[in-house]
Amino acid sequence: MGGTRFIGIFLSRLLVKEGHQVTLFTRGKAPITQQLPGESDKDFADFSSKILHLKGDRKDFEFVKSSLSAEGFEVVYDINGREADEVEPILDALPKLEQYIYCSSAGVYLKSDLLPHFEIDAVDPKSRHKGKLETESLLVSKGVNWTSLRPVYIYGPLNYNPVEEWFFHRLKAGRPIPIPNSGLQITQLGHVKDLARAFVLVLGNEKASKQVFNISGDKYITFDGLAKACAKAGGFPEPEIIHYNPKEFDFGKKKAFPFRDQHFFASIDKAKSVLGWKPEFDLVEGLADSYNLDFGRGTFRKEADFSTDDMILGKSLVLA
Amino acid sequence: MTGTIVDKEKKKVLIVNTNSGGHAVIGFYFAKELLGAGHEVTILTVGEESSDKMKKPPFNRFSEIVSAGGRTVWGDPAEVGKVVGGVAFDVVLDNNGKDLDAVRPVIDWAKSSGAKQFLFISSAGIYKPTDELPHVEGDVVKADAGHVGVEKYIAEVFGVWAVFRPQYMIGSGNNKDCEEWFFDRIVRDRPVPIPGSGMQLTNISHVRDLSSMLTLAVEKPDAACCNIFNCVSDRAVTLDGMAKLCAQAAGRPVNIVHYDPKAVGIDAKKAFPFRNMHFYAEPRAAKDILGWRCATNLPEDLKERFDEYVKIGRDKKQCSLR
Repeated sequence: MGGTRFIGIFLSRLLVKEGHQVTLFTRGKAPITQQLPGESDKDFADFSSKILHLKGDRKDFEFVKSSLSAEGFEVVYDINGREADEVEPILDALPKLEQYIYCSSAGVYLKSDLLPHFEIDAVDPKSRHKGKLETESLLVSKGVNWTSLRPVYIYGPLNYNPVEEWFFHRLKAGRPIPIPNSGLQITQLGHVKDLARAFVLVLGNEKASKQVFNISGDKYITFDGLAKACAKAGGFPEPEIIHYNPKEFDFGKKKAFPFRDQHFFASIDKAKSVLGWKPEFDLVEGLADSYNLDFGRGTFRKEADFSTDDMILGKSLVLA
Repeated sequence: MTGTIVDKEKKKVLIVNTNSGGHAVIGFYFAKELLGAGHEVTILTVGEESSDKMKKPPFNRFSEIVSAGGRTVWGDPAEVGKVVGGVAFDVVLDNNGKDLDAVRPVIDWAKSSGAKQFLFISSAGIYKPTDELPHVEGDVVKADAGHVGVEKYIAEVFGVWAVFRPQYMIGSGNNKDCEEWFFDRIVRDRPVPIPGSGMQLTNISHVRDLSSMLTLAVEKPDAACCNIFNCVSDRAVTLDGMAKLCAQAAGRPVNIVHYDPKAVGIDAKKAFPFRNMHFYAEPRAAKDILGWRCATNLPEDLKERFDEYVKIGRDKKQCSLR
């Protein structure tokens, strides 16, 4: 389900390479295939000739049920599911389903003073990601063979969530990087290609049956550290970092910073020891990969918007 | 990759133990765990049995080691052979020296007297600070740190060795206050002053976890061989978080006050028992290589610690608090 925006673009290629027959269920808003920066013409042609498309809206449950049961898929990768009700028609359509592989989120974990989050930790039924939790619970209750992966912050070329892009815009413009509070908050980024490899590793894997795995980078990073890592990755000089107290501002609906203002990281020990998976990219390498194949070539998803930065910098100037 | 070969043979183990400080309690737990598993243990504490230092825990509980069948001796580690009466051991743990001057005599004697395995308690404090966490075995260490010189020498000289890098620990018999610093203030309804934002991460383990890791290394010497192990729990806690957990354990409210040590003119190193920065290592090697499991459960462990704190009357004791 999905497959034409970010994670699925990389995952589908790996699956096709392994010889699986892959169908992407999307509304067709994004091109079904697009040549990736750095992808050879031959590889792209090969991929394009093999990938299949099923056009539809996954919110149209009747259509989902009828179209999927007509095809009789053995495995479902649900990359863009948000709510449990989206999953039911899929399960109803495929009674002989061998595995349902779900892209969940580490955002389901209940905030804690003790970190990192492990897969056994308490989850937050009230979180913004409760749809993901409800989906996981539904999978458990239906008795299907499921696997759920919980990424933290995903990054890499074609990222549509302005994670690294947010820093790159400011670095390119030679602007200071405004970071809320101490800048010591710790977060964790995972490269989309490493996530795609994890998704492939769990396919038909007994050890992944009815298991949840955190998937992200091997190390965690402070907000300040991330700004510096982005600069290093893009060949920019070390940035000027301005810390500010977000409570002193009213940003309206705008987000002044792309990360949650708290420590947020998860242990990937389980995936490493059970699946034998480990991330190939370290942070600076991964950010460089993203920069070289995307932002550094002049492509990005969201235009730069420095309005919140200017509010912060304006006040800093006044105080200084 | 977990070492599955457990050496069932009973070993003769010598622990060279410091006579003070945060690491002193490690030797106490390790001795008792080894004795419980049927090994022979001698613990050599630095200095003299009659010294005032021996009136503090864990030393004032060494009768527990003796009644479990262990031997306690005192002396100068530079003369270790003499102090132990010419006896040889299978395994030697140095839980004392912070530099090569202090540990070399022990290493050299252990080798010449035929010890098969050398273990060393180093410190996670030798890792070079970085924006990327956690500290993982293999990460860059501060070249000039005393422990680093010891680690290198052990690797050069000994065939079978393992090095352990701990952080902070709690546990009954601790020689140096850890959670007590928070309890002291919480029970007296005094504010808990924490330098900086309180977001700094640290790693506080129950000492029984450190002991179980050491014991595994003794029982799986080949798996443990020639590895560095972060000797810590597998969870970080923030400084604020630790204050809150201590308050929860005490069943009382906590008033955390953040301050900037520079602005107030205070040396945070003296005013506060933890480093004023992120200081967090993970026990990845122990889990992967030894199959070690973490048992520290800070919320539960702190309840036990608080119960003891009250039992020994520390909540009523006169306390000088800044």
